[in-house]
Amino acid sequence: MSDFLKKLSVRSPWLFRINAGSCNGCDVELATTAFIPRYDVERLGCRYCGSPRHADIVLITGPLTARVKDKVLRVWEEIPNPKITVAVGICAVTCGVFRDGYSIKGPIDRYLPVDVNVPGCPPRPQAIMEAVLIAKKLWMQKLGVEE
Amino acid sequence: MASFLKILLRNVLQGPSTDPFPAGETFTPPRLRGKVKLDPERCMGCRICYHTCSAGAINITQHQDGSGYDFTVWHNSCCLCANCRLYCPTKAITLTDNWHSAHEQTEKYTQVEQHFVPFVPCTTCGQPIRPLPADMAKRIYAHDPDVDPEIVRHLCPKCRLLEDAKKHMSPIVKAESASADKEKVADAAPKAATKAAPEKKTTKQT
Ligand code: SF4
Ligand code: SF4
Ligand code: SF4
Repeated sequence: MSDFLKKLSVRSPWLFRINAGSCNGCDVELATTAFIPRYDVERLGCRYCGSPRHADIVLITGPLTARVKDKVLRVWEEIPNPKITVAVGICAVTCGVFRDGYSIKGPIDRYLPVDVNVPGCPPRPQAIMEAVLIAKKLWMQKLGVEE
Repeated sequence: MASFLKILLRNVLQGPSTDPFPAGETFTPPRLRGKVKLDPERCMGCRICYHTCSAGAINITQHQDGSGYDFTVWHNSCCLCANCRLYCPTKAITLTDNWHSAHEQTEKYTQVEQHFVPFVPCTTCGQPIRPLPADMAKRIYAHDPDVDPEIVRHLCPKCRLLEDAKKHMSPIVKAESASADKEKVADAAPKAATKAAPEKKTTKQT
């Protein structure tokens, strides 16, 4: 029975967004991916949730500025395991154009175990969908269920 | 009611607007800026792309033995601004429409475009250079039927200047330099005299 429930529940990982000091470009693309019928990430069983405690896949944008660093790490800790961390945009992956800035503490993989990267400034919605698919696959592997 | 029916009819006729991706194929706009690509045949190693890259994604490292240089673009740093494409004088660096950039963390440090670009010796003096792309040489020397772009493009800048100077020497200067040479050989006079000599000659000829 629990196996059956597990199999059912893993069809729909929920997404959570953290803005770690992004310019909002990547966040707009994330919103586009979710809310515009043309891309519609909910077809994959994913949906955005408002609380980190409900999330399975966390999408982080931005280069992790000094001001938000501790808050981002605290919110990330709140997400229950097993979780998959996706770095969206070159800011999150390598700090991109902000690299070596005085207020930049990133890239985020200095502090968090990142699982999937999707570079681009910003990545197009289809690329984000690809990243979510990879994240979903990894998440199922972590749970021990293969699709 | 009428407007509702109109919308309903339109939606029925148009079908769903959802992109079939990832289940099916998606569209790629023709001018989409995707991963950067270098054509090592055309690259001259001028470093303009390196200086204009807004994200510092390009690195050019000379080999110690002077055999060439390594050209690296890190896709994970590239912000797809296309500055490199705009400023590259030979159009060696371009942006493809490949937007499939998502990858797992284990592949993070393999997301590079890397080429070894070898130097070629100048056909006259042997100095290691990068030859000018053939079509570019043709375009530059299009106005001058005397110049063979195929030969000129394999010359180093210095030899190219010399070659050009030889071709475009006016008859006056040619005569002058010839007589100056003669004088140098014949005359054992002090330096000041040989220096003044060409000036005299020019006034006479003109
Ligand atoms: S990757 Fe580009 S679009 Fe995304 S947050 Fe950074 S600067 Fe903005
Ligand atoms: S890619 Fe273009 S701009 Fe960059 S070094 Fe080569 S020729 Fe110069
Ligand atoms: S597109 Fe922009 S960021 Fe990318 S390599 Fe070219 S100049 Fe650098």
